[in-house]
Amino acid sequence: MATLASSANPFDIQARPNRLLAQALSCLFFVVCIGLYMHTSASRHRENPEDRVVPNATQLAAGIHASVLEPAEEDDYIPADNASKWERFRHSMIVKDTISSGRRFFIALALLIPAVVLALHIGLFPWFGAGFLRFVLFFDKIVALSLLPILFIVFGIDEWSKIALIVIGVAPTMILDVTNMVKAVPQEQIVKAFTLDANNFDVAYRVVFRQVLPQVINSLRLNLKPMMLFLFAGEMIAASDGLAYRIAIMRRHMGMDVILPYVLWVAFLLFLIDLSLRVLNRRLHPWFQA
Amino acid sequence: MVSGMSTPMAKTPLQALNSAAATAVVAAGPAADPHGAIEIRNVGVSYQLAKSTGVKKNARRTVLEDISLTIEPGEFVVLLGETGCGKSTLLRMILGQERPTSGEIRIGGSPVTRVDARSGYVPQKYSLFPDRTVLGNLTMGPETSKYHILGRLLPGFRAFRREVREEAYRQLNHMGLQRSDAHKYPHQLSGGMQQRVAIAQALMMKNRVLLMDEAFSALDPATRASLQRLLRSVWCEARPTVVFVTHNTAEALFLGTRVIVLARTGREDHCGSRVALDMQLPTSGMSLRGNGQEFLDLVDHIEHFSRGDRATAADPELEAALEPDSPAVSTDGDPL
Repeated sequence: MATLASSANPFDIQARPNRLLAQALSCLFFVVCIGLYMHTSASRHRENPEDRVVPNATQLAAGIHASVLEPAEEDDYIPADNASKWERFRHSMIVKDTISSGRRFFIALALLIPAVVLALHIGLFPWFGAGFLRFVLFFDKIVALSLLPILFIVFGIDEWSKIALIVIGVAPTMILDVTNMVKAVPQEQIVKAFTLDANNFDVAYRVVFRQVLPQVINSLRLNLKPMMLFLFAGEMIAASDGLAYRIAIMRRHMGMDVILPYVLWVAFLLFLIDLSLRVLNRRLHPWFQA
Repeated sequence: MVSGMSTPMAKTPLQALNSAAATAVVAAGPAADPHGAIEIRNVGVSYQLAKSTGVKKNARRTVLEDISLTIEPGEFVVLLGETGCGKSTLLRMILGQERPTSGEIRIGGSPVTRVDARSGYVPQKYSLFPDRTVLGNLTMGPETSKYHILGRLLPGFRAFRREVREEAYRQLNHMGLQRSDAHKYPHQLSGGMQQRVAIAQALMMKNRVLLMDEAFSALDPATRASLQRLLRSVWCEARPTVVFVTHNTAEALFLGTRVIVLARTGREDHCGSRVALDMQLPTSGMSLRGNGQEFLDLVDHIEHFSRGDRATAADPELEAALEPDSPAVSTDGDPL
């Protein structure tokens, strides 16, 4: 009895919970949240059957149907009555928003590549370090969102201001992070490469860059969230499409039935990108440990 | 303790030994080519001390002081000394990684200003590229020296790579590794295997100078002994100039044809290390088994020099600290 009590003690660091119980426990808070939601929804619907703040299952299903199979309100496209599900899905609100947000996201991601290359040079070539490091350090401290008005004035309120916001927001941190990784590569490796008759670019790209690439990808994985954050900030303030634009619009008429699926969809997308980067990293760099 | 009275005893056999060794080196001389010669002229190193309380402005600490050495092609030079005596600094300067504050170093007649492919390098740690397989590590040298980063797109590259791979397999076999090890990554190999590959990697470049910085210090005694034998056989075949830094006297005696001991001349900051002892050894190498008491006396003799002034200054505390050192070296010395 005493052993059971001690092994069930939640504050026992040396406890060995049984596997099944641990699995069940990991689901606990999901269940609690869903239960609370359903309870709130049911009680609010008893008072007001039209309640929109905590939509019930039927309302949510309708919201999901509207976002996945209906075109957006502002679109001119009207699906033919006999249009197939795929046809409807292709022109749906969520697909349109995902594509326009995704485009911004991936263009920004592509623009981070030169930033990483610059960081490699800053960390490795003393002249680059002398020229850029202090500037980047300064730039890193500027709150990117405070630049948003300037970006709107410079780039206009269309695509490029939002992409610029993401890049400006994430690039300095990435650069400093990668610079540190490059500096952490043991000097022995660089010296060894030079004794093997490598030239400067061999050392930079075929020795150092190859070694830090898995860490760079991991750093990028951590930066996915800030990137998404800047994208959403830009889209909520000035956009005519995009995932965050839709969420902001729906707020105006309390469209929780659409907002909730959108929030979960964004989380799922982010999870997918993160997972694919992780798998890519493991495939490309079998030698990399933790 | 033998250490106290070793010096007078060791003198006589040593002198005989010295002359024998000198003739042996001269005999081996003409076979080696002049690219392997290392000249160290009046090299000194000092650096500014960081500003902190109790340090005078512009205070400098001298590491090496007026070192002049001529290393003939094909010599196996072992740099010995206590921790912090600057032996690794001297090696890094021969390598080109650091620059002397004064003086000059030349390899094969031309001065060393930067790290280049004149010398091969085997450090104690991080000696292999972790992102390349054993084969990739071995072929990297010849590949990059012939085809730099964009040159890899040239048509001749693939054929050349096939050739280099064959060579790499031969070299691997020579180092006592299996063909199946070729596709392993460094982290899958033991420390001893990694150092074998690192030596092979340096040998692939066929440079005339090989610089090794405590290359075997992190290995267990058995592995260390087998690597020492390997290194000796490699040296006997190709006769490169080797500069080997170690703090293990027995290792030095087993490997080297010449032992150079660096020791600080005093404890003050302005006193740097100088060459305390420069001694020729027989080319066949020495071991406890082969040379018996002579070997032990020589170990004591050398250690007396590497302790420098400090041992002669009658400091009971220091003497006590040094006491357990001497037997440790002779048992720790693996080439038995």
